[in-house]
Amino acid sequence: MSHKTPKNSISFAVWGKYALFTDPLTKVGGEKCTYHVPTYEALKGIAESIYWKPTFTWIIDRVRVMNPIRTEAKNVKPINISGGNTLATYTYLADVRYHVIAHFEWNLHREDLTADRIEGKHYQVAQRMLKKGGRRDIYLGARECQAYVEPCDFETGDGAYDDAGELAFGLMFHGFDYPDTTGEAKLQSRFWSATMRDGKLDFPRPDDKDAITRKFVREMEPSPPPSVGLAEKGLLP
Amino acid sequence: MNWIETLYQTYESCSGRIGDAQEQEPLLPICHTPQNAHVEITLDPLGEFQAASVIEKARQKTVVPCTEASGGRSGKKPATHPLCDKLQYVAGDFSKFGGKVTSGFSSNPVEPHQHYLALLSAWCESPQGHPRVRSVLRYIKTGHVIRDLAEARVLHLDSAGKSLLAEWTRDDDPPPIFAALPGGTSQWDAFVRWAIEEPGNPEVRLWADPSVWESWSTYYTSSIVETGLCQVTGLQVSLAKQHPAKLRHGADKAKLISSNDSSGYTFRGRFTDPDGDQACGVGFDVTQKAHNALRWLIARQGRRDGGQAVVAWAVSGHEIPQIVDASDSLFDEDDSKQESESTAGNEAIDVGQDYALRLKKKIGGYRAELGDTNDIVVLAMDSATRGRMAITYSREIASSEFLDSLESWHLTCSWHQNFGKDRKFVGAPAPRDIAKCAFGRRLDDKLLASTHRRLLPCILDARPIPDDLVRSCLHRAEARSGQDRWDWEKSLGIACALFRKQQINNHQYSMALERDRTSRNYLYGRLLAVADHLESMALEKDEERESNAARLTLRFADHPFSTWRKIEPALTPYRRRLKANKPWWLARYDKELDEIMNLFQPDEFNADDKLSGEFLLAFHCQRSALWQKWDKHDEDESPEEN
Repeated sequence: MSHKTPKNSISFAVWGKYALFTDPLTKVGGEKCTYHVPTYEALKGIAESIYWKPTFTWIIDRVRVMNPIRTEAKNVKPINISGGNTLATYTYLADVRYHVIAHFEWNLHREDLTADRIEGKHYQVAQRMLKKGGRRDIYLGARECQAYVEPCDFETGDGAYDDAGELAFGLMFHGFDYPDTTGEAKLQSRFWSATMRDGKLDFPRPDDKDAITRKFVREMEPSPPPSVGLAEKGLLP
Repeated sequence: MNWIETLYQTYESCSGRIGDAQEQEPLLPICHTPQNAHVEITLDPLGEFQAASVIEKARQKTVVPCTEASGGRSGKKPATHPLCDKLQYVAGDFSKFGGKVTSGFSSNPVEPHQHYLALLSAWCESPQGHPRVRSVLRYIKTGHVIRDLAEARVLHLDSAGKSLLAEWTRDDDPPPIFAALPGGTSQWDAFVRWAIEEPGNPEVRLWADPSVWESWSTYYTSSIVETGLCQVTGLQVSLAKQHPAKLRHGADKAKLISSNDSSGYTFRGRFTDPDGDQACGVGFDVTQKAHNALRWLIARQGRRDGGQAVVAWAVSGHEIPQIVDASDSLFDEDDSKQESESTAGNEAIDVGQDYALRLKKKIGGYRAELGDTNDIVVLAMDSATRGRMAITYSREIASSEFLDSLESWHLTCSWHQNFGKDRKFVGAPAPRDIAKCAFGRRLDDKLLASTHRRLLPCILDARPIPDDLVRSCLHRAEARSGQDRWDWEKSLGIACALFRKQQINNHQYSMALERDRTSRNYLYGRLLAVADHLESMALEKDEERESNAARLTLRFADHPFSTWRKIEPALTPYRRRLKANKPWWLARYDKELDEIMNLFQPDEFNADDKLSGEFLLAFHCQRSALWQKWDKHDEDESPEEN
């Protein structure tokens, strides 16, 4: 995998007290347990919380694990559908910090937004919003794991796994293929075989045929809100 | 690797041990579940009834084939096992003899038996059918199971001879079947297993026959229709609809992977199906093997405390040291004999070093066997509600790192432990002992489980011990007068070990008395020990009371100077006694006291500030030092005395 960073990349550090990147195997039972490393989709969500427009999608390139991986189990009282609470134990990652590199590419399935595809504009806004700590709330995996972002150079600082060599994590959830971005009327989930080399994970692109295994979830219709962009009546004088 | 993937790999590496008869709880083949059977029926190859017997409690463990539904069965209409099951499934004449089926079947009492027959017939007629199982089917079809069992005097009918006895009401000894059944059940709930006697085949027991296991596994796997992506291996295989239970013990209904969305908000939203197949798909093979491996590992080398189970294993199946035990369990009997021989002559200085050497040697043995590339996995599981289990701690470590951390834990958190008359050792306490010491009577299962979880990173990652645990243990060791003597000795050992570990980066404490250590806490601890020893030595045989020093230990910890001003004058009458009876002891005490006082800085002695846990270490060391020189001094002094 080439480590060339595209010109419109942003590079940030995200940290928080807890993180919950839920393993789908444990999610269905309700006793959520976390993966030891972030999923592509969780980091994409963080990038989208920093700045996003329907014109583009974020592609996460690499993530670097800075703090040692520690899990912590907490007892929680989730609600029942029939009222009242049930008891469960969620296992979080404690005290996490990651450096992430991400870049954006145009969403080619949104023909109505072609006029908005101005790279410099979006790149500048993304940088400004990153400096401000993101437009929307940042969270690591699950919403209760509040986190913070700041711009940061990927290679700075000493990570806990910089000399750890290669660590394999088996088949891990990568992300969802939504119809808005793939153009097919299906919801699919993606998996990949995660390996961490010296603390860094290089994510395959979502359209990578070799590294990604796809699972069909269900039929889903894309429903982007219609937009006419600047041609909206009465917008411009 | 994912925890489920490591379990799958472990099963594959240990597949040679499937069904090993020598083990208490052997590794099970897939599609089989452990079950306690009560009645054994022996048939001949033609399906004729030969004999029957009651199985006593010690031999009841049976490996029975099961389907996905029956492996984790519960509720009003439990699914049937294919071969060995309870009387309501197996016996065609169940209702005839007055049996009541489970409430869900009451509208059609023959239903369980019909399901059973259908499943068994399907298996026998399939290409994977086994001839011995066909003999069983032939017998079942005659439908006289209960009648034959009654005639063989295994089950007992009432006086009218029409139905089974609900309970034994007569005066003489109850027949063996009533002892074999678990409490609260009746003869109706007896579980049947089969044996076939045929000439030329020494393996009579159907449940221990590997060819029967194989036959059922292949038939059942081939009968699964639904295929999809397995999220563990990434291959398109037949998927499991339900996942096994009974992981921690035979009656455990908690499952690691279950689906809960009809009653809880677990995965609704993106996923529209009610059973979670869209969200999660695991191959049938993978989940059966992984859960069987987990069950085997927990039974074999896991530790269960209340609900929580902690298990550590090497993926290759090699032996590894137990992580949540105290240090004495690391060394088996031969090692401990060596220890008692070498320390019998007894210089306290060497005990610590001796222990360190033995520990190194033991861990070195494991290191040599495991090598560097092995992976050790540690899992802790607990259930908050009955049906679901959560993984509360999971860690995969390289074996070299694992052994390093374990060695460091046992070295740094070690002290002389006194757990009672039969259990004195040098080493680290177990997390369960630490929890008991820190929380005392307040300890319950949940607190024990959470303390375990907090201490596992201390053992495996060399993290510092949580401050509150250390403080609670120290407090308990200081509060001597509220406790029974043996409890206090145990707490003292544990508290010293924890304090020593906590301070390991700042101060290194030796397990023997350090005569050149001049810190205030240390010296005060020594003073207390001498005062305590002096008074205990002077007490007559019939005076059973605590010494003043012992009574005032807690006070001493908070205000050493003012409490010492109470303890020291109170020693005067005891001094007089010793001067009369054991003057050489008195000389020794005075010598020690002088030595300690000389080492004090004057302003430190006069200050009344609280003492840290260091004084307990000093107390312990000084006390053992005083006991030690007993032999030597006796030899030295007695000729002079005479």
